[in-house]
Amino acid sequence: MSDSEPTSPVKSSTRKILAVLGRYFAPQWRPSVLLLLLLLTGIGLQLINPWILSQFIDQAVAGAPLNTLLKLAGAFLLFALLRQLDTVAESYLAANIGLRATNQLRSDLARHCLNLDMAFHNARTPGEMIERIDGDVDRLNNFFARFVIDLLGNLLLLIGVLILVWRIHWQVGAALTGFSLATFILLNRLRDIGVPLYREARQANAMLYGFIEERLAGTEDIRANGGVAYVMRRLLEHARRLFRADLKANLMSVSVFGFTRALFMAGTGVALGLSAFLYLDGILTIGAVYLSYRYTEVLLQPIEVINRQIQDLQQAGASVARVQDLLARTSRIQDTGTTPLPQNGALPVQFEDLTFGYIDDDNATGAPLELVLRGLSFTLPAGSVTGLLGRTGSGKTTLSRMVFRAYDPTGGAVRLGGLDLRAAPLADVRRAVGVVTQEIQLFHASLRDNLTLFDPAVPDAQIESVIRELGLGDWLDDLPDGLNTLLQPGGGGLSAGEAQLLAFVRVFLSDPQVVVLDEASSRLDPATERLLEQAITRLLTGRTGIVIAHRLGTIERVDNVIILERGQVLEFGARAALASDSSSRFSQLLATGLEEALV
Amino acid sequence: MSEAQDRTHEWPTWRYMVELARYKPWLYALEVLFNPVLFYFVPLLPALVVRQLLNGLTGSAPADLNIWGLVALFSGVWLMRHAFNVVAIVTDVGLNHVGTALLRRNLLNFVLQQPGARALPHSPGEAISRFRDDAESIPNFLAWTMDPVVQVLVMIVGLATLASINSLITLAVVVPVLVTLVIVNNATKRIRRYREAAREAAGGVTDFLGETFGAVMAVQIAGTQDHVIRHFEQRNEKRRKTALADLVFSQALQTFTYNSASLGTGILLLVAARSMQGGAGTFTVGDFSLFVSYLGWLTIVTSMFGNFLILYRQTGVSIKRLMELMPGAPPNHLTEHNPIHFSGNLPTLPRPGTPQPLEQLSVRGLSYTYPGSSHGIQGVDLVLEKGDFTVITGRIGSGKTTLLRALLGLLPPDSGEIFWNGRKVEDPASFFTPPQSAYTPQVPRLFSETLKDNILMGLEGQDADFDTAIHAAVFERDLTELDHGAETIVGVRGTRLSGGQVQRTAAARMFMRRPELLVFDDLSSALDVDTERLLWERVFAQPGHTCLVVSHRRAALRRANHIIVLDGGRIAAQGTLDALLQTSPEFQRLWEGDLGTPQPAPEPHTA
Repeated sequence: MSDSEPTSPVKSSTRKILAVLGRYFAPQWRPSVLLLLLLLTGIGLQLINPWILSQFIDQAVAGAPLNTLLKLAGAFLLFALLRQLDTVAESYLAANIGLRATNQLRSDLARHCLNLDMAFHNARTPGEMIERIDGDVDRLNNFFARFVIDLLGNLLLLIGVLILVWRIHWQVGAALTGFSLATFILLNRLRDIGVPLYREARQANAMLYGFIEERLAGTEDIRANGGVAYVMRRLLEHARRLFRADLKANLMSVSVFGFTRALFMAGTGVALGLSAFLYLDGILTIGAVYLSYRYTEVLLQPIEVINRQIQDLQQAGASVARVQDLLARTSRIQDTGTTPLPQNGALPVQFEDLTFGYIDDDNATGAPLELVLRGLSFTLPAGSVTGLLGRTGSGKTTLSRMVFRAYDPTGGAVRLGGLDLRAAPLADVRRAVGVVTQEIQLFHASLRDNLTLFDPAVPDAQIESVIRELGLGDWLDDLPDGLNTLLQPGGGGLSAGEAQLLAFVRVFLSDPQVVVLDEASSRLDPATERLLEQAITRLLTGRTGIVIAHRLGTIERVDNVIILERGQVLEFGARAALASDSSSRFSQLLATGLEEALV
Repeated sequence: MSEAQDRTHEWPTWRYMVELARYKPWLYALEVLFNPVLFYFVPLLPALVVRQLLNGLTGSAPADLNIWGLVALFSGVWLMRHAFNVVAIVTDVGLNHVGTALLRRNLLNFVLQQPGARALPHSPGEAISRFRDDAESIPNFLAWTMDPVVQVLVMIVGLATLASINSLITLAVVVPVLVTLVIVNNATKRIRRYREAAREAAGGVTDFLGETFGAVMAVQIAGTQDHVIRHFEQRNEKRRKTALADLVFSQALQTFTYNSASLGTGILLLVAARSMQGGAGTFTVGDFSLFVSYLGWLTIVTSMFGNFLILYRQTGVSIKRLMELMPGAPPNHLTEHNPIHFSGNLPTLPRPGTPQPLEQLSVRGLSYTYPGSSHGIQGVDLVLEKGDFTVITGRIGSGKTTLLRALLGLLPPDSGEIFWNGRKVEDPASFFTPPQSAYTPQVPRLFSETLKDNILMGLEGQDADFDTAIHAAVFERDLTELDHGAETIVGVRGTRLSGGQVQRTAAARMFMRRPELLVFDDLSSALDVDTERLLWERVFAQPGHTCLVVSHRRAALRRANHIIVLDGGRIAAQGTLDALLQTSPEFQRLWEGDLGTPQPAPEPHTA
């Protein structure tokens, strides 16, 4: 589905990457400076030892006293040891910088996505989101930690070595400089060539994990309906697609970089030959020949590292592009309203010529699909309770979601307390409305966090009293750690009915001004539902209520009734009046129900 | 027999590797020979060329030296190596993907064979970190498995070359390398502990992401995005700490071995000083250069062996984490050689078999208790005859869903027996699938595919069958109203459909399979009165179906020829509607609760 996300032009990808790098790297500048210092120290240590070796050769060949030779050997050992310590400190710092920066990015991404509109989320599996927030960012770890430092440090090393080689002899220096330049020009040319391929591979990855996560969440359905073989075949399809994409990307990258590396190796050969001839001409000592050979070897490291970092840049480029795509998405629900909603008391809910159709998230034009709500106009007075009836698919749930701005209207408006929802701050709207739906998602976290959705400000006593009020006191007392009990993943151990009661606890705690009950008690048995009745009555007192029901019994307590049919109001009126009007659809429904009761 | 033996003890890490290697032996052979030989042996050659060059220059007749010939040889070796790298990457990527795909295939297959309601030890999000990180790192190690052999060979060749030049000096400089090896080997034991902690913390991150994005709307309405992110950050922070310990410890080890080459060179300087003094000729500049190069390389080889040990431990952790997804499975299940079809046609799906027509289903003493709780069912007996419509009812938490799951093998019963036409069902989990039975769970899961794919789930049915299933599920009107009809993509977990549409899609999926026994769990909870009535009518219109239904709705209860009332996991009462209304106070409460006000019970003795 999301294959067809807008792709950013490859040209600007390096700039984009640097922008992300800058934002997340900047806060880490202190350890980064330290890291750079360590790297420079390492470079110095790396350059000094070949020089000691060349001195050693020349001194030894010239017959210097043993004492001098042993001093050189001792210095070599000391520097070798220092370099070892330097490397360990360096790897620790680099890893820490990378992890801190990526954690920050993960958390920014998660926050950004968590605030995106439902049309976005409806098109993406949790597994795909895991891969895009965790998987893609993970690929940037090394990039954040090392890219700038390694590039900078190794460029310095490269320049340092070249200067030293120039000092040995200008001809050798010129040859090596020429080949180094040629290598870099080539690298720069080919830099972005692999990005689209890597990006395709990353997307194949995300699709695979999205697929797996969804299936793992639906094992019961698959198992009991004989779908195992089918799911396995789909898994193989995904794996095959990923393999092909990954192979392509890797082949491209290895060909490009193998080529540049080979070019550079030809250069070191030329430098070696040149210095040999210079020795024969009596211009260089044999120690200097050795030194120039060793320096070309040392030169290999910056070339390799820069090479690898640029390869990494390609992979990072694919990940960054995907991260950027996510960050560039703005919620279709714009939080630009500034007029505060009244904080207290029930609010009237008005629908004004409300028209709505879902938007296909892949569709860039944002044109709605077929309309689900068509020109609805009515007002629910403050403090009234309205029953919403209609066939499944008639638009009841959609209508209720318009009240808390899960979606914005295609046409017309929804008003709360007389204020267009879009004119109020989103946080106000969400605070004003409480919702209990048929399905409740539980977290593998403490009961407390599940009920407050991680808000630490809610006092324990308040939570406990609500739980007891809803008749879950015995259940709570049975829990080993009370509110701190870790709920099992997927609500294991809780029946669907008990989970639904927890949803009621959530809404009680949020103390809303408008309450939406969307088939909130459908999974409860009638006896439990009656127990809950008092609590619901209390919940609806002093609040405006919208009760969606398929069952007539559920709407015994409502003041008004709306019947929806294909997104339009079929009937709207006071419950009592509609019930007594024998020509109303409502009274026919009541009759069906009663007739049932009399069979 | 042998399987039972295997179960009692786990395999060591290398056994899994052998099994993986045997899966595609030619690919494996190519990868482990080509890559390490290229990697370890090629660097020995240029150093020899340089020695030749330096010795030639300092020797008696330097002018005769073919300098450019040697230089061409020097560069040519490297050129060759990079050219071969292109071939090597194909085997590398191939082996990795083949291995990962096989592991994932076996894992998912096992998970799907488990009692469906308890298939995973943790959440799907947590399992993703295992399906991803652990399944990828095992085949990654596979490419390393022959390295020690090649490492030993390159050591022998390298040391023999050095010894042929000067055996005493060789001995002196090799000692630090050996000491390093011993130290690394001892340290690798701690690697395992760090790795386990790091992976567990990573699982905590994916777990939480998965759950959060499964509950976006709830979080948005509650407005607690910031709190949720704070919690996420805590898990991230925990991962940072554990990952840092894991990474730094193994990197410190690597650095240590890698840099011990320099120590060897230092010792070389000390030992060789006398023999090189004044160009005495016993140890030439060329020899010296070769020693420095080889020492450097041989220590890298040693450090690679250290790496191998580190990876071996880390792979052991990954294997353990994957086996945790397969509790009770013999170890060979993980690496079992099943086709993964990277090329050619994908496997054709098996045709459903012919059912064993249901005459009678009976259950005796079925019990299941959720681990760590007292919830569950105890000693449930029930009998279903062909054509029965049996309704199970009871309060929330009374064990209705548990009973269905235990019967269908979606939970492993603690005790009890199930008989199909009088014959004992040995493995309910594989028996209670189409064409014997099909099931609509209380909260059906749909997948982000088209509506049609969700209903068919790979079934190659006729269009007519599809239409029949749609009709039976009272979905025909909805179908015309969806944007793309049966080809509409239903969205993640069916979110583009209404609750009732999801339930009826699941029902259509069940009808499509034409099972002998239809099992519904609270199917009608999101349906309106009319739709529900229509649905039951259509179910009844299909002859020969036997239904087992969980419901508290009168529409269902009234049609039942047998009702079972559960209370606290036991059967409190059973019988016909009339009888229960007379005799069971629990059932009366359930029945009367429905409309909120007490209703007059139907007159007794209406028959």
